[in-house]
Amino acid sequence: MTNANGLPKLAAVLGIAVFAILPTAGLPAFYESFFYLVFFWVSLSTSWALLSGFAGYFSLGHAAFFGVGMYTTATLTTKFEVPFLATIPAAAALAALLGIGIGAVVFRVRRLRGELFALLTLAVTFVIATIILNTPIDGGAGVFMISVPMPAIMSSQTGTIYVLGFAMCVLTLAIAWWVAHSRLGMGLFAIHDDEDVAEAKGVPTFRYKIVAFALSAGIAGAVGGIHAMYVGFLTVGGTFELTVPLYVVLMSVLGGSRHWFGPAVGATVITALLYAFISGGEAMIGRALVGAILIIAILWLPDGVVPAVQKWLRRQRVAGAGASATAMPAELVPVELAPTKPVGQRNILEARTVTKRFGGLQALDGVDLDVREGEILGLVGPNGSGKTTLINVISGHFPLTSGTIAVDGVQIGHLPAHEIAGRGVARTYQIPRPFANMTVLDNVTLAATFGGPARPAAEMRDEAVHWIGFTGLAGKEAALPAELNLHERKFLELARALAARPKLLLLDEVLSGLNPAEIDNAIRLVRAIRAQGATIVFVEHLMRAVVELSDRVAVLNEGKLFALGAPRDVMRDPRVISIYLGKAYAA
Amino acid sequence: MPSATLLGQALISGVLAGGMYGLLALGLSLSWGLLRLVNLSYFALAFLAAYLTYELGTTYHVEPWWSAVLIVPSMVAIGVVQYWVFDKFKVNELASLLITFSFAVILEVVIQLYWTADYRRFETHYSTLSIKAGPFYIPVLELVLCLVAGALAWGTWLWLRKTYVGKALRASAEDADIAAAYGVDHKKLAYLLSGISAGYAGVAGTFIALIATLAPAQIWAWLGVVFAVVIIGRLGNPLGALFAGMAIGASESLAMAVMSPAWAPVVSFSVLIVILLWDPDWL
Amino acid sequence: MLLEARHLHIGYGDAPAVWDVSLEVGAGEIVSVIGPNGAGKTTLINAIAGLLRFRQGELRFDGADMARVKPHDYCAHGIALVPEGRRLFVKMSVEENLELGCYLPAARAAHDQSLERVYGLFPILRDKRFQLAGELSGGQQQMVAIGRALMATPRIVLFDEPSLGLAPTIVDDMFEIIAKVRDDGAAVLLVEQNVVKAMGVADRAYVLEQGRIVAAGLPGDLLKQPHIREAYLGV
Repeated sequence: MTNANGLPKLAAVLGIAVFAILPTAGLPAFYESFFYLVFFWVSLSTSWALLSGFAGYFSLGHAAFFGVGMYTTATLTTKFEVPFLATIPAAAALAALLGIGIGAVVFRVRRLRGELFALLTLAVTFVIATIILNTPIDGGAGVFMISVPMPAIMSSQTGTIYVLGFAMCVLTLAIAWWVAHSRLGMGLFAIHDDEDVAEAKGVPTFRYKIVAFALSAGIAGAVGGIHAMYVGFLTVGGTFELTVPLYVVLMSVLGGSRHWFGPAVGATVITALLYAFISGGEAMIGRALVGAILIIAILWLPDGVVPAVQKWLRRQRVAGAGASATAMPAELVPVELAPTKPVGQRNILEARTVTKRFGGLQALDGVDLDVREGEILGLVGPNGSGKTTLINVISGHFPLTSGTIAVDGVQIGHLPAHEIAGRGVARTYQIPRPFANMTVLDNVTLAATFGGPARPAAEMRDEAVHWIGFTGLAGKEAALPAELNLHERKFLELARALAARPKLLLLDEVLSGLNPAEIDNAIRLVRAIRAQGATIVFVEHLMRAVVELSDRVAVLNEGKLFALGAPRDVMRDPRVISIYLGKAYAA
Repeated sequence: MPSATLLGQALISGVLAGGMYGLLALGLSLSWGLLRLVNLSYFALAFLAAYLTYELGTTYHVEPWWSAVLIVPSMVAIGVVQYWVFDKFKVNELASLLITFSFAVILEVVIQLYWTADYRRFETHYSTLSIKAGPFYIPVLELVLCLVAGALAWGTWLWLRKTYVGKALRASAEDADIAAAYGVDHKKLAYLLSGISAGYAGVAGTFIALIATLAPAQIWAWLGVVFAVVIIGRLGNPLGALFAGMAIGASESLAMAVMSPAWAPVVSFSVLIVILLWDPDWL
Repeated sequence: MLLEARHLHIGYGDAPAVWDVSLEVGAGEIVSVIGPNGAGKTTLINAIAGLLRFRQGELRFDGADMARVKPHDYCAHGIALVPEGRRLFVKMSVEENLELGCYLPAARAAHDQSLERVYGLFPILRDKRFQLAGELSGGQQQMVAIGRALMATPRIVLFDEPSLGLAPTIVDDMFEIIAKVRDDGAAVLLVEQNVVKAMGVADRAYVLEQGRIVAAGLPGDLLKQPHIREAYLGV
């Protein structure tokens, strides 16, 4: 891999060097202007992608931050005679503050995702534009920057602008690269695929979204500040017109908004196209062509150019290896050598009078339940008895209405889901919910990374590989979830849950949809997991498996704990039989 | 504080302007609410219809009402073709927004290439007609526009409420599988609705030609307000779109009379922001 | 035989859920398919209703080969579904929901009589006819779902877990209605978790466990055998 890594790094260094010395090489102003525009659009679209591409919060309001930045610089330089360069950080800061402000309000409202978020950001842009238009900031007359002294970085004005734009571009790409390879980026990508699951795996979703938004807005603000100087004369109409937010979206989508370099590719291609047509006197044709390219890209390359190329390269490599995607997972790593630990005395889970109401529906009605360390507790009951609700409440998917829940002595009842995950609770979903755009390895690594205290990245990866092997998925690390069959996806759920080294593992109908051979495999795996020291609560409908696996069985009925005890005792109890099969049968 | 007459006139102008908002919002609201497709190209299609009306009117002296007979069905056909593309590629909501936006950009370019960016005004002998009612002036064309918008909105509402096809559309939008289990062919209905929505854009275009000054960039002038109207009026609700349009038009106009004209856009967007934050289920 | 299923294999995506299932329903019969949760009952009935495609096997309704029939054409053959969880159109009124049931021309012709019949069976729905379906209680929603199916003047009504989420007294009423549906002329295929109720009303029954039919026959006989107990209780 080192050779493959070396080449892009070399190209990057060379590229930076070349572009850095270009202005001093006596480039005609025409080209300096063109390259500046490329840097401009690369920075703007890459900054947009930080939130909207990585995390999937599609914003149509990037012009708001860009415009705030432009007008901050314009106002500070013309009205307060602040030196131009000093205004750039101010522009960034103000734009970032705006982003944080919007995010603080909007990200708390769970349903404001998707198109609603896009609309909200668009609306905010219009409001800000109108405010700027009607106050002395612009007042309708526009702002002239001609008299503002330009810092003498290069001999010419265009040269200086070029250098500033270039610096901003490199900085933006560096930030994007860093985010994409950091914990923050991992969390954002997970939020993009399934925000609720990300939260349940320990990703602090609210905090990460705010940070991404702040970075995105701040960069746009700084870019705007520089652009004020380039434009020379600002108008509200020109600054806040639809072109900015929409071109930014186009460029990112074309290049691939999930990849840190995708928007850069899209921005370069589209800017070059537009510039070629504009200088040829055919600006209109250029615009139409851009529109046509975008339509084609969305229809045929929905993930963008860069990922499509990556996928093609991957397929070339995999074709050589010749893996079969439908084979049963390899036999489990045998762990029956260690004797089963006796069930401990400590309570890992203590639930007291847990109550959950959904509007008028009473899902849980004062449930008291203790789960001992190292035991396997089966949670059963007729449909609507509250089993899955109990799991959801313990894991933090839903807040409690009343009652307390303690995990290993720590109260978790009113903590957000990601903090509950950090306290040692992990769960699987009945219908597997893997992060669709992340490989098996990345899925499990994320769970390991966010499931406990921070550890070095290499250690996390090794941990992930271990659990992937443990669940029989060895060899499939580079596969995407869609390439796995249901059995493998269920085991991926398990691997993800285990990678967080949880104290309490909650399994939600892990056996549903499996054929008999797969079920035997799964039962063996659950036993192996318990042998490692985990405490397991599992919801299951397949009774014979419940009876086989559980140390104790808890029966829920109509939101209450109906019976608790050894499996065969409970399932032969006439009262339990009657709630399943009716009184006549129990007699 | 302006006089009562001035305010009254502003109110009237606002409500009439709102009729245009409502008409432009109709197709978008139906498409978004019932087909889960955000079709931004309706703005451009409306302008295409407007320019064609202008062309037929000035070069061939065809009355706009006759032009509409040709133009509106063409728009319907475009709507049908659009749905074919969406269906074939299984386009989702966000993608539909981007694709239709790009299509609108292409249409804008086509318009500009043929008709240039110069302002065009379709002058007719009834452009400046207005009725005097007490101290107020009511421009006839705008009034007709509102009546047509009202008729279309109300007619659509009746169609959705009272006819089997309308009910089937609403049911399919909620649960397409179960609707199919009772015989509803979603695809056929979707083509129908897509065509009709584009047809409404065509009708709007006829009035745009008569009332407004045409310039390609104007395509985007109404985008923000109509979006706000669609949401405030609730998706898929034709009467809601109309009333929201008129309410927004009126409040903008009054705001313009009381404050400076430039503050008008803040009204619709602030209302939109408040609604989205307060009750996202509004949609 | 009105409905014949032979060796059906049904799955979601790559997840096989039902293996090699054969069953039949004759005109005027009530047939129950019972089984614990996760057995594949909803998968089976969704395939028979046309919501799901089956991978292998044969499904015939009154002799017609349903494999070639499009989902929205199933209803025209006389099949009406009362889905699990009701699945009403919650933003539409009670009466509008009922009217969707007779969307197809053949049923539409009998609209007035059908509506009267439904309101006769469920008088409370007449009072609530203009209310939004989403505002009704669980039991009332179930009535609307059944009414919707009846409006289609079906030859067979498929019930998917009608007792789910309903209070015991209402469940009793539901099963009386199911018997009445049969008495009025339609055959019934009933998929249920509730053994007692399902066996009480059925002419014949099948036991489904983990996607396979493990027993079939008369209700009385089946209750005496161990399959049901093992399937539901694991012991």
